[in-house]
Amino acid sequence: MRTLAFLLQRIATGIPLILGVTFISFLLMVYFGPDMTYELLGKNPSAEQIAQVRTQLGYDQPFWLRYGDYLREMLTFDFGSSMSTGQEVTALLADAVPISLALTLPGFVLGNLLGVALALAAAWYRGGWIDRSIMAFSVVGMSISFIIIIIAFQILFSSRYGLNFFPIRGWDMSSLGSYVYYVTVPTLSIVFVSLGYNTRFYRAVFVEEIGRDHIRTARAYGAGAGAILWKYVLKNSMIPIITRVMFSIPSIVIAGSLLIESYFGIPGAGKLAFDAVTTGDQPVLKAVVGVTALLFVVVLVINDLLYRVFDPRVAVQ
Amino acid sequence: MKRALHHGAGCALLLAVVGLSACSGGGSDEDLKVYRHSEDGVPTNLDPLHSATVYANVVVVNAYDTLYRYKYLERPYELVPNLAAEMPTISDDGLVYIIRLKKTGRYIDSPVFEDGKGRTVTAHDFVYSLKRHFDPENTSQGKWLWEGKIKGMKEWVEAGADYDEVVPGLRAVDDFTVRVELARPFPQFVHTLAMGFSGIVPPEAVDAHGRDLGTKAIGSGPWELTHYSRTQVRFEPNPNFREEPLDLAYEGYEKAEHGDLGIEHLDGKAPPFVDRLEIDFIQESAARWASFNSGREIMLSGVPVEQTDAVLASKDPVTLEEEYAERYHMDTGPEAGLVFTVFNMDDPAIGYNEDPERQERNRELRCAMRDAFDWEQRNDRFYAGLGIVFPGVIPPILEEFDEDLSRESVTHNPERARERLEAAGWNADNIPELDYGLVTSSLAREMFEAFRGNMADAGIPRDKVQAESFATFGDYNRALRNSELSIMGYGWGLDYPDAENVLQLFYGPNAAPGSNASNYRNPEYDRLYEKASEMMPGPERTAIYHRMNQMLIDDCVGVLGLTRSRVTLWHKKVRGLPDRQVLGGFWLRFVDVEEVTQGEGAL
Repeated sequence: MRTLAFLLQRIATGIPLILGVTFISFLLMVYFGPDMTYELLGKNPSAEQIAQVRTQLGYDQPFWLRYGDYLREMLTFDFGSSMSTGQEVTALLADAVPISLALTLPGFVLGNLLGVALALAAAWYRGGWIDRSIMAFSVVGMSISFIIIIIAFQILFSSRYGLNFFPIRGWDMSSLGSYVYYVTVPTLSIVFVSLGYNTRFYRAVFVEEIGRDHIRTARAYGAGAGAILWKYVLKNSMIPIITRVMFSIPSIVIAGSLLIESYFGIPGAGKLAFDAVTTGDQPVLKAVVGVTALLFVVVLVINDLLYRVFDPRVAVQ
Repeated sequence: MKRALHHGAGCALLLAVVGLSACSGGGSDEDLKVYRHSEDGVPTNLDPLHSATVYANVVVVNAYDTLYRYKYLERPYELVPNLAAEMPTISDDGLVYIIRLKKTGRYIDSPVFEDGKGRTVTAHDFVYSLKRHFDPENTSQGKWLWEGKIKGMKEWVEAGADYDEVVPGLRAVDDFTVRVELARPFPQFVHTLAMGFSGIVPPEAVDAHGRDLGTKAIGSGPWELTHYSRTQVRFEPNPNFREEPLDLAYEGYEKAEHGDLGIEHLDGKAPPFVDRLEIDFIQESAARWASFNSGREIMLSGVPVEQTDAVLASKDPVTLEEEYAERYHMDTGPEAGLVFTVFNMDDPAIGYNEDPERQERNRELRCAMRDAFDWEQRNDRFYAGLGIVFPGVIPPILEEFDEDLSRESVTHNPERARERLEAAGWNADNIPELDYGLVTSSLAREMFEAFRGNMADAGIPRDKVQAESFATFGDYNRALRNSELSIMGYGWGLDYPDAENVLQLFYGPNAAPGSNASNYRNPEYDRLYEKASEMMPGPERTAIYHRMNQMLIDDCVGVLGLTRSRVTLWHKKVRGLPDRQVLGGFWLRFVDVEEVTQGEGAL
């Protein structure tokens, strides 16, 4: 019962967040975003045609009315049709989001698991050559531009100059083989880029944890490295790990990875959102912003629940 | 031992991934003839109402039928019947067009039709498709082509745009005959019937899909759209497409010119010749080049500027480096369009002014800026030296191009610019501040800085020319339409191969928000335009075009102009002549491919 009350309370506190995010972003869209009128007009428009298109786009409506429509769309989850393609926005998202998830999830999971593993090793051997090597590798990974990594991996894995095992672009999930065929190089690129950031972050968390008294005591009692790292360090570091992982989820679901999608020709949500921003396709943009805000609230709630699972002190408070 | 096991597991994992991938082959169909190419832009909407770009047009003219098309190999471009049975019968006054349709046009099979079977295309469908452009419920990017030109259309719109009501100037006489009556002669009318905008859409498809027609295509063209995404479209042959054997001689085949294309064996056979078309949309030039190089695509419609030095052995004439020449065919030539810069004549600081003396001084300022501009530098730095600089706005690809026109207006001459400024009383202090519009990008910024540098060489201080940046082309377009800028970069792709299409850019009544972004208003120019726009092609009309072109040069309306050159590469095993110019894509029905497996064309 207390958990349910807690949940409802957290959801209630999320409503102002959604209202704030949608209001500010809609304000930016309306007053500072691209005007789509001229994308839809022919080469020789008349003033009358311009006015007609503006009416069709709803640009002639007062801001508050349009914002009210936006909130209604959020409630009904019906964002209308894309101004560019005419497709239903929900159908567009339904097509793009699973692709983005399938594209980024393997890299995200692998990047985090490897990051945790390397960070544990680096923290355990802090100051030694293993730590220095891992940190040097992390800095290198963080320093190289994502585009350079994508191009380098494309040359290495997808061209005759390299292994030429995988396709340079495209997407197909009709079978496991096809999926692996298309997702491998993007995944490797994502892992390479994220590994440096993840490793450095997790190492800082683990180093702090390893320095605590109970770890020193466990070591003094002769506990092995595996037991200490697994039972005490990792478990006690779950709060920052959960926070980092959970707050990455909305961007994985909605934002995808724009560069990966662009360079590998994958029709995911990242490119959808980017195109909507640059062309001023407001129905798509409203949906992307709204769904992202909603996801953040959901993530906040789940995050708090997970805190309670891993750290009972949170529940007591 | 453990280490060896770990090493072995790693190898096994890699092998498994590669093995899985190899087994799937990426879903390749080895028995199919698949043709792939990439485009450097994305079509956002496949409805013929919106086929304003080459990217949309490539899809639309292959999925939908148009009444006319351009001959496959003939250059300059020549119109031929497509779904029309013959060229139109035109009345002596040039106002009435009688167009007979083939009775063999059939839509693809689709659930939108009764029994799911594609029905015959009729004249009523054509009439319906053109009416759609004028329906106030629709947003049409092609309406401007026929606006005010079809008799009774305006009244039809004002009466509520009821599709059941007849437009006097656009009627289906019977199921296979269309009668079009124009309000005034429009010799380019038949050209507009070869554009994607005039693609014939069945009403059933509009009723069933509405705005979703932007991502679907239910037409009677040679290809059936089987897949659409923002990164790729796929086509398969329309099984209902009429049997029309390819007649190479009719299409303009010349042994000397086209002998190495390897298309002789297609003569007399009915297209399409391949089992599938795949068109990738790749905006990033590095990715597009890498993809082509990997052998995924077998045709590249434009070698990226940054690759030209590596790919070309020489630029004049254009030849390929040996390693590329061994693998690829190459075609080059001027693009059907031009780039130029115009001045806003409505800006009293640089254009028309109530004070006649100031107006004359403004003209000298514009001419000085034109003289100061270095076209050769622009060409070398931004177009790999492959562009063609020419005076005026009639580009070299058009028959009306004037080869004898003086090149003085495109010659970099800062000395003369200085003299003009001095003679007109301009100096560093009194030259007005001018806004130069650009869409934010490093390339546009570099072009602006080069422009400003040219002006500085002629004594126009750099701070007198300021960049006005716009985040998107839509915003830039809005500034153009609202006449907010002093200097505007402009690019124009020809909608049809007739100089009227570029000369209308300076016709007074087309001033902002119309296509005349310079707001040039010259009564004599307008009179000549109106006269020529009703004339059929011929020496008299060409002479008028040349006079109008000269007026633009004399009045220094802009810095005019340059046409880019395209360099198209395609795999040796592709049988065809790729050409997407003049909003085209008709050639894809004729393409053939020798068995090319993915990756084979890789370098």
